[in-house]
Amino acid sequence: MRLFEYEAKQLFANNKIPVTQGVLCSTPAEVRNAVLNFEGKGVLKVQILSGGRGKAGGIKKVESPEQAVDVAEDLFGSTVKGFPVERILVDPLLNIRREYYLGVTIDRARYRIVFIGSPTGGVDIEEFAKKNPDKVFKESFEIDENMYGFQSYGLGLQLKFRKERLKQASAIISGLYRTFKQYDCKLAEIIPLVETEEGELIAADARISLDDDALFRHPDLVKMGIEKRHEEGEMTPREKLARENGIPYLDLDGNIGMFPGGAGFGIMGIDFINYYGGKPANFMDSGGGPTPERLAKMLELLDDNPAVKAIFGARFGGISRCDDFAKGVIMFLKNHGLSKPMVMRMTGNQWEEGVRLFEEAKAESPELFQDIEAHGIETPIEDIARRAVELAAEEAR
Amino acid sequence: MAILVDKNSKVLVQGITGTAGQFHTKRMIEYGTQIVGGTSPGKGGEIVEGVPVYDTVEFAVDATGADISVIFLPAQFVREAAIEAIWAGIKHVVVIPEHIPIFDMMAIRKEAKRYGTIVLGGNTPGIISPGQANLGIMPDIAFKRGKIGTVSRSGSITYYVADTLTRSGYGETTCVGLGGDPVLGSTFDDILMLFEKDPETEAVVMCGEIGGVYEEIAKDTISRMKKPVICMIGGVFAPPGKRMGHAGAIVEGNMGTAKTKLKALEDAGAHPAKTFLEIPRILEAEGIKPAY
Repeated sequence: MRLFEYEAKQLFANNKIPVTQGVLCSTPAEVRNAVLNFEGKGVLKVQILSGGRGKAGGIKKVESPEQAVDVAEDLFGSTVKGFPVERILVDPLLNIRREYYLGVTIDRARYRIVFIGSPTGGVDIEEFAKKNPDKVFKESFEIDENMYGFQSYGLGLQLKFRKERLKQASAIISGLYRTFKQYDCKLAEIIPLVETEEGELIAADARISLDDDALFRHPDLVKMGIEKRHEEGEMTPREKLARENGIPYLDLDGNIGMFPGGAGFGIMGIDFINYYGGKPANFMDSGGGPTPERLAKMLELLDDNPAVKAIFGARFGGISRCDDFAKGVIMFLKNHGLSKPMVMRMTGNQWEEGVRLFEEAKAESPELFQDIEAHGIETPIEDIARRAVELAAEEAR
Repeated sequence: MAILVDKNSKVLVQGITGTAGQFHTKRMIEYGTQIVGGTSPGKGGEIVEGVPVYDTVEFAVDATGADISVIFLPAQFVREAAIEAIWAGIKHVVVIPEHIPIFDMMAIRKEAKRYGTIVLGGNTPGIISPGQANLGIMPDIAFKRGKIGTVSRSGSITYYVADTLTRSGYGETTCVGLGGDPVLGSTFDDILMLFEKDPETEAVVMCGEIGGVYEEIAKDTISRMKKPVICMIGGVFAPPGKRMGHAGAIVEGNMGTAKTKLKALEDAGAHPAKTFLEIPRILEAEGIKPAY
């Protein structure tokens, strides 16, 4: 979960990292006041949950309050990288002598925390790292290790901070590492750390990504208003609706509605449909033990999508049981109804009960089931995928 | 033989008094798994599904000789539970719940390495040696004892692969769920080496998906293996995902896409399968005969 720049800076400041004292603004008038306080100059930075803001036109230098208002008026109400601009952070203009890059993340292959630093900062750090691997310094740590003073000092030396700034640089390096550990981060970056013409070191931009799964032990963050949030840019109306119902869902540009079971087959099912010449209309994770109500909602989402010509359903019951699956499908058929052909396969835990529920419901109201081709373990899932492609092609004709 | 678990394994269920713990304990026992005890602090002395409950793992190990544990607890208690099991001398720990904090799983991994314990998960469907023992939540119907090992990051993919092996007459020695969380207790190479040494396993199917680095880093192990490895990677047609900042890109470099994974695995000598039905065809081409 990504934080806004101003939030990340707050967490850095908590660990004694000097950060720019920006002002968070929601209107052009506020931006004007903020710039006036910075002697009429400043940097306007849109606060969105995405990187690459500068290249997307979301960071603008202004030289006067009037210009600030003009720029702010343009930015507010626009979208940058798919995000509507609602807030702008106004930072004082820095006299930059030099920019460094500092970052901490996890090396999943080696199960270690990695500190990365480079004497050349800025947005092109990745390119720089590829071309100059010898100028990028890394130090890795076990999960329960702290960074000692001699280590942060050593990194400061490698990164060629000037002698009179070494002590401060060392404190910033260890502060960054401490922030990373303190808040269960997946990523913490100062990009760039600026050395000003006046000789000060200051974090000009900050990026933090938290581990959503660890948020439960950080009530302090929740108090700051940092809660689980959606990081995507623009969502389609259907994606929004899915999200409101707690359904992991993405719109794709095809015509086969995917109701695939867990995320693993949710991803691979998209490949299968493509291999057989079809195009999925969506990604969905319908696993993880959803209730019948939520399963019914998932099918409604697919059935209501005019792009969907046929529905591909699969349940290999593990933690998600077949009896719940059957209840969800029946609930959908009764309350909403199916308006397009559907082919599905159901097997796994509690499949006998699932089949029994289907047969019972079908005996009661056979008309609800007329557009469903239901299969069990005897039919390979590949045949189901192929059939879904056929059905969609027939409907599209 | 099988790997990690067989009919002689003495299994402990951590969190046996919870709804999921109880439900799956019953299923596991019905399969023939030797469940010797459960733990639930404060509930020592109770009996669940005919199985004695202990307050701590240490008590349970002393009383029953348990050597493998399955955890059915909410994610925030998993670090405690897993490290308790590791310290009490449990050899393999299976973490069923999902969304384990990354730092917690790294701490668990560190202790596991120190004590030589194998931890699976989080978010694993478990592990099954068909006909012998079923630990976790996997549906019995997909599995039959045979000669192929499987290891996968996804529950549903494990079931589909086993289902295909079962129906094509190959059957399985052991099916291992690595888990779907971003940081896992074990990696593909940890498990592949166990299959390589298992005399009953004649080939291994490994299934990964986009994201992370665990498939790519298995390449050295695969190139050292004598047994055929068949690989499947989900997400060839998935829309490009998000990257983990610049630091993530610098650390993980060119890893994480279906393309990079398939290339690394094929270069190491693994045989790629696009669909489940291709798996028995590849086995046949490798000269491996069905088990039944």
